[in-house]
Amino acid sequence: MISTKMIGSVTFLYLFCTILYFIYLAFRSEPMGKLATWVSWVSLAIQTAAILLRWVESYQLGFGHAPLSNMYESLVFFSWCIALLYLLWEWRLKSRVIGAFAFPFAFIFNAYASLAPGVSAKIDPLIPALQSNWLHAHVMACFFSYASFALSCAVSIIYLIKLKRKEKGEKEGALTSLFPSLDSLDELAYKTIVVGFPLLTIGIVTGAAWANYAWGSYWSWDPKETWSLITWFVYAIFLHARVTRDWRGRRTAILSILGFVAVVFTYFGVNYLLSGLHSYA
Amino acid sequence: MRNPVAEEKEKGFLSALWDSLSSVRLAIPLLIILAMASIFGTVIPQNGTPEEYLRIYKISTYKILRILGFLDTYHAGWFILLLGLLSLNLVVCSLRRWPSVRRVFSRAEIKPEEGQWKAVPSGRKILFRGAVKDSISRVQQGLTRVFAQPRVLEGEGIRYLFAEKGKFSRLGFYFIHFSILVILLGAVIGSFYGFRGYINIVEGESIDRVFPRSGQQDQPLGFKVRLDQFRVSFYPTGAPQEFKSKVTILEGDREVLTEPILVNHPLTYKGISFYQSSYGVSSVEKAVLEGVERASRRGFALTVQPGMKVEIPGTPYALLLNRFLPDLQGMGPAFQAILFEGTRPVENLVILQGSSDFVSQRPGRFQFRIREIDPRYYSGLQVTQDPGVWVVWLGCFLMMAGFYMAFFMSHRRVWVRLTDKKGETLVEVAGSSHRNRYEFEKELERIGQSLQGQLSQGQKKSSKGDSA
Repeated sequence: MISTKMIGSVTFLYLFCTILYFIYLAFRSEPMGKLATWVSWVSLAIQTAAILLRWVESYQLGFGHAPLSNMYESLVFFSWCIALLYLLWEWRLKSRVIGAFAFPFAFIFNAYASLAPGVSAKIDPLIPALQSNWLHAHVMACFFSYASFALSCAVSIIYLIKLKRKEKGEKEGALTSLFPSLDSLDELAYKTIVVGFPLLTIGIVTGAAWANYAWGSYWSWDPKETWSLITWFVYAIFLHARVTRDWRGRRTAILSILGFVAVVFTYFGVNYLLSGLHSYA
Repeated sequence: MRNPVAEEKEKGFLSALWDSLSSVRLAIPLLIILAMASIFGTVIPQNGTPEEYLRIYKISTYKILRILGFLDTYHAGWFILLLGLLSLNLVVCSLRRWPSVRRVFSRAEIKPEEGQWKAVPSGRKILFRGAVKDSISRVQQGLTRVFAQPRVLEGEGIRYLFAEKGKFSRLGFYFIHFSILVILLGAVIGSFYGFRGYINIVEGESIDRVFPRSGQQDQPLGFKVRLDQFRVSFYPTGAPQEFKSKVTILEGDREVLTEPILVNHPLTYKGISFYQSSYGVSSVEKAVLEGVERASRRGFALTVQPGMKVEIPGTPYALLLNRFLPDLQGMGPAFQAILFEGTRPVENLVILQGSSDFVSQRPGRFQFRIREIDPRYYSGLQVTQDPGVWVVWLGCFLMMAGFYMAFFMSHRRVWVRLTDKKGETLVEVAGSSHRNRYEFEKELERIGQSLQGQLSQGQKKSSKGDSA
């Protein structure tokens, strides 16, 4: 499949983007930053084309469906969401400093899809349970929310690094001085969660509606459902702590990272460690 | 005489209880405990049989888990109690915050402080060459066009115009919290008035009772469901493509409707929904076997009805299929059969589909394989009646509306102050927003510019000469 080869090459492109954004940070070089942005948009375009091509290829195989149906396809879509969300954000905020921390996520998930032995890139026909229009809404809402949480996790990691430097009384290095102030990092983490949380809610609600339609029960405490609810709880705690108890800084940064750990477990852990109904991805 | 100390103590306890119930301090630990309990519930297998548990746990561990309710965590009394506490906390928190929200609503007209007026940038201070009363209608028009319809307020010798937008975004949090209560209410309605069960119907047969999941008495449906046909199809890859039950609903003996039920395509009749959930072969009507007599290498075909002895033509032997196995250890459908010589059983056989070595290498008088079977399927349908489900969807809708209001709308207020300056009017535009202040600042700028245009319209002719 050509699309699979293209997606494989995107892995290296995203690695290259990560390196470019790091060089940009290290040397504070504006041309390097522009190059990083440019390469990233091109990589995203290639990934987009590959996903669309895979869609076309599934029709050529005689059982066309949107490429959102198994582990491989969801990983690639997750990577795509992260890259797209980050680039839109960069464009809107006119700041490239998060790139070096956002692109590793896009890289890792695309690389995992392409290289992990357990993840098959084969295009398979849809099994009866997946033959529904809820598939598109559910998967898109979930992965856009996961992508926002990935970005908020990236921002919180930067926050903690910068805070540690500051507490040690070190002079700000070339790296950390380029990052936005602690306050604005804190604000950014909050804003990405404010986008991700309603999206996660839509993901859970569309999942429940679908389950009700396919299995006759909107909630059956399946491990996937339960873990998505646990993730929802973590971010609910984040929002309550920040809005009503005025938690700021280190504690909310840790909560945001913890939230993303829950996201990753909901996505991978449940499939590999627990058994349940939701075995496709 | 009243005892002030005791009264204080009592009041202290009650208000402490009220305080903790109404505090987010309680909500956060509750969410943490619920999250932890849910984690346990996903790690410990739920609703298993004692044998299954004893395979993984020691008997003492099993007993402790059972007493603590961890074998059915999400329905354990303490879990429901936690959900109840969370609901109570939500209600009390909302009630407690209500007065402060109401104040925002009723005091919306409060004017900015003098200091805020001083901070208004020069771009939003406009000098109107005319009387205050003439400027009012122009400002009203302008503000209505670019922002919202204003009201005129009287101050001490000063006129104010006030307009606001997105007031309801302050209610967003109420919507979200209220929606959680609505969802839980839907779940409670479902658990009291709902029903979850299953039926297995064999092709051609009908059923009028449903068996609950929780092992209570079977319940009458009030009508009959007949399975006309079940079909399963596979992709060339071997993966299932479609499970389809053609079903007819009967009221008495009258056919009411005939509809297919597929996965992701349930059938609802009189509030009861039927979902395709499993299938199987209940019996085989007829099978066509291919046989070879080993000694003579003579091949023949044999049409057999299970349970009926069939003579093998030209031989003293007869075959009886006594048991159908839908899937023998992953090798597909199979029959257990007995070969008779006259009335005396001489051989036990397993007959498979396809020319398996398993069959051909077996010593014996004959080799058989299944060429064709005419199975009679049964279809397993999940049966659900849940009057609470629409309440749950209403709650979800409210929650989404609440998120939109709380996170993506903001309460924006604009005041315009009109001060008489010796026959001319000083028009000042101030505003506030409870969220997204940066973006609101830009909106205010636009409002200022638009008002400037509105106020200078038609004045250009008369005042062109002396304007700077």
